[in-house]
Amino acid sequence: MNIDTFRDAVNACRFCFMCRHLSAVGNVTFTEADTPRVRASMIYGATLAPEKLFDPDLIRTVYRADLSGSCRRNCVNSFDEVGLLLACRADLVEAGAAPEAVKAIAANLKKMPEWRVSGTGSVLYVADNYSVESGAAAAFAKLAGRVKTAKGGSCGKGLWGLGFRKEAKALAKKFVKVLESAKVRTVVVSHPGIYDFLVNTLPEMGLKFGGKVMHSTEFLSGVKTSRKLGQLYYLESDFLRNYNNDYPFPKALLRANGARLKMFGTNDEESYSCGEGALVLDKIEPELVEKLAKYVEARADHPEKDVIVTASPYTKVQLAKYTSLKVRTVEELLAEAL
Amino acid sequence: MLVEKDSYMYEMIRTELIDVLGAENVGTGAADRFGHSVDFYWIPEMWHDRGMETPKPDFICHPSTTREVAEIMKIANQYKIPVVPWGGGSGSQGGALPVYGGIIVDTKRMNKYYGVDKESLTVRCQTGIIARHLEWNCNKEGFSTMHLPASISCATIGGFLAHRGTGVLSTKYGKIEDMVMSIEVVTPTGEIIRTLPVPRHASGPDLTMLFVGSEGTLGIITEVTLKVHPQPEAREFRAYIFKDFHTAMSAGAELMRSRLQPCAIRLYDETETKTHVRKVFGMELEQGAYLVFGFDGRKDIVACQMRYAREIMEEKYHGQDLGSKGGDLWWENKYKFFYPPYMFHLPQAFGTLDTVATFANIEKVYYAMKKAVNDNFPAARFIGHFSHWYEWGCMLYARFIFEEKDVPADPGEAAALYNRVWDLAIKAAIDNGGVINEHHGVGLKLGRFMKYLYGPAMPVLEKIKKELDPNNIMNPGKMGL
Repeated sequence: MNIDTFRDAVNACRFCFMCRHLSAVGNVTFTEADTPRVRASMIYGATLAPEKLFDPDLIRTVYRADLSGSCRRNCVNSFDEVGLLLACRADLVEAGAAPEAVKAIAANLKKMPEWRVSGTGSVLYVADNYSVESGAAAAFAKLAGRVKTAKGGSCGKGLWGLGFRKEAKALAKKFVKVLESAKVRTVVVSHPGIYDFLVNTLPEMGLKFGGKVMHSTEFLSGVKTSRKLGQLYYLESDFLRNYNNDYPFPKALLRANGARLKMFGTNDEESYSCGEGALVLDKIEPELVEKLAKYVEARADHPEKDVIVTASPYTKVQLAKYTSLKVRTVEELLAEAL
Repeated sequence: MLVEKDSYMYEMIRTELIDVLGAENVGTGAADRFGHSVDFYWIPEMWHDRGMETPKPDFICHPSTTREVAEIMKIANQYKIPVVPWGGGSGSQGGALPVYGGIIVDTKRMNKYYGVDKESLTVRCQTGIIARHLEWNCNKEGFSTMHLPASISCATIGGFLAHRGTGVLSTKYGKIEDMVMSIEVVTPTGEIIRTLPVPRHASGPDLTMLFVGSEGTLGIITEVTLKVHPQPEAREFRAYIFKDFHTAMSAGAELMRSRLQPCAIRLYDETETKTHVRKVFGMELEQGAYLVFGFDGRKDIVACQMRYAREIMEEKYHGQDLGSKGGDLWWENKYKFFYPPYMFHLPQAFGTLDTVATFANIEKVYYAMKKAVNDNFPAARFIGHFSHWYEWGCMLYARFIFEEKDVPADPGEAAALYNRVWDLAIKAAIDNGGVINEHHGVGLKLGRFMKYLYGPAMPVLEKIKKELDPNNIMNPGKMGL
């Protein structure tokens, strides 16, 4: 079983309470089951009695985890409960035990159209659906000038996160071919999940893309706005902070353009991303994502007037949908201040 | 389970609870019931580790208001079913385990933060808030509760109040009971009461302290006002190695008797100095006992206190100075001990023999417990450190550890061995002037020692319990009540 490769996390997390305050989902459902410790304990139980893996409650718990990676970042030994949950999802899929709703989401991801590449230039920008919907993609186009753009497809990260590893790898191979056939040296993305996919997940799948990969904020690091951005609340991306070692470029870019950044919320440990780490949590459990968004809204200093900036198009989309917060992606803010 | 799930009474009770809380806030699912069946008490962890079924609650209730808690109590009294309060579930004594099934009142939805009163330096909140979240909120306003235990990330404020918890800065700022201004309580019969708004008065006995430490046996604390403190201008630590544990203890006691005001003192016995301190701090300390202390507050006062403390350590007790770096290492790594793999865990068998005594008795208690463990259980290791210091004495955080090969495979036999260690060690402590315990609470684990500890005073506690909880619904089986 895939979970067997995470025995160390099972045996560490089931006896540890040190990151329970960082369980974004647990902090809005208030249930013990939505904490790393109890999830690891339940999975341990399934290693003793495999039929327990197929308990509907355990399955639901595993699929509604936020996968923010805050726990791993907080852990002094970086035990990987996120990896354990992803492995557990893969085991469930391989056993045909994924929930019907998850299977339907996976089917939709598999059915997504082929990537369409347009434009000219030596850089390819990947405009995924969240980047388009959030406004990040349009703003990037305004800021970046002449670039090629890939639109419409799925890279495989969503399927990978749901546990459909074989299908995810097939999509990933196609995606890499699209990138390679675009004949560019640099691929740029706004969605931190796709950045993480290219940097970390592809090697995990045994695949490789030879070009340079950048998050949009690194690519735009030369942008100069015509006015100073002023005071902003910065809301972190799970993938950039927790999966990619506090990726520094979003904040550096904002500061270079006169932003006085204030940390959003009360701390820099929790995830306020509304489930970005789980990639498609909004499709699996929309009501849960609404609760996560309301939790974020309740932590704004002045919800009516604070300007909140995030490098996560996914998070912007959820906060725009469920709250009255004024949220912008980094690209949007820069484009507005050009 | 007291009520069979396929009986109509089960559905009757569930329906009444849903009427109060809404369906979303009454859990009966397998995952959530399991989550409330294992806390950090070794016995249920071992039970689960060996594939055994742990006692589970029938219903998990998530109230958000005091009124809802009161309604749950009334339903529980009507049907005479147990109510077990549950905060973060980080207790090591089994205090929140639903050993007789019934209703778990999970308080975490009661997490409202009402802000700091900057004139009085107090903060008000509901008790289901996780302590780390409360601390972050206070920090944002420029203050701190100064309640900084290792379980801060998991435990709720209500959990700390329930068992008289403490934090690493207790020597200056006190335990949770020293931090409380007043509380709101729902009694077992569903009345909502508030204690007096200030903790120092001459208006009769201290009602607040009747409930603080009662571990959910006398009601549920739903709201609290706590003291807060400005963040200190300076906080400095310094560490020393003494030739042996006795000398280090004498130096620590002298520091307290000097009436300087350290915020923390911690002393590790020779064994723990050699093993745990080295493993966690990476310091090469082959012999002696490690003692660390610190001061905080105004910079000039911290410097002044540190100067006098150094005189005690160096001139009177000839401690080897590890400098501020040796002290800072402890402060920076104070929680590291509790992360895996540094923390003991199954398949080892281990326990914390938390005991508190006066300086006149503390070494006697230490050696009596050590002898009880070493003489009767040669396979066990005994280590200890002294964590929380007062003007009159300190707390012994003694631990016993059995490696996997020395723990019986049969869960019943393993539990019997475990209980036997506690029996002998705790009685040795009590017989030498120790009190069990200082901050972990009594719970299920130590309930059987309460009569031995309290003697003729125990019936007073029993009568209070009977009067407040006539149907004995509140956390039955805990604290020996």
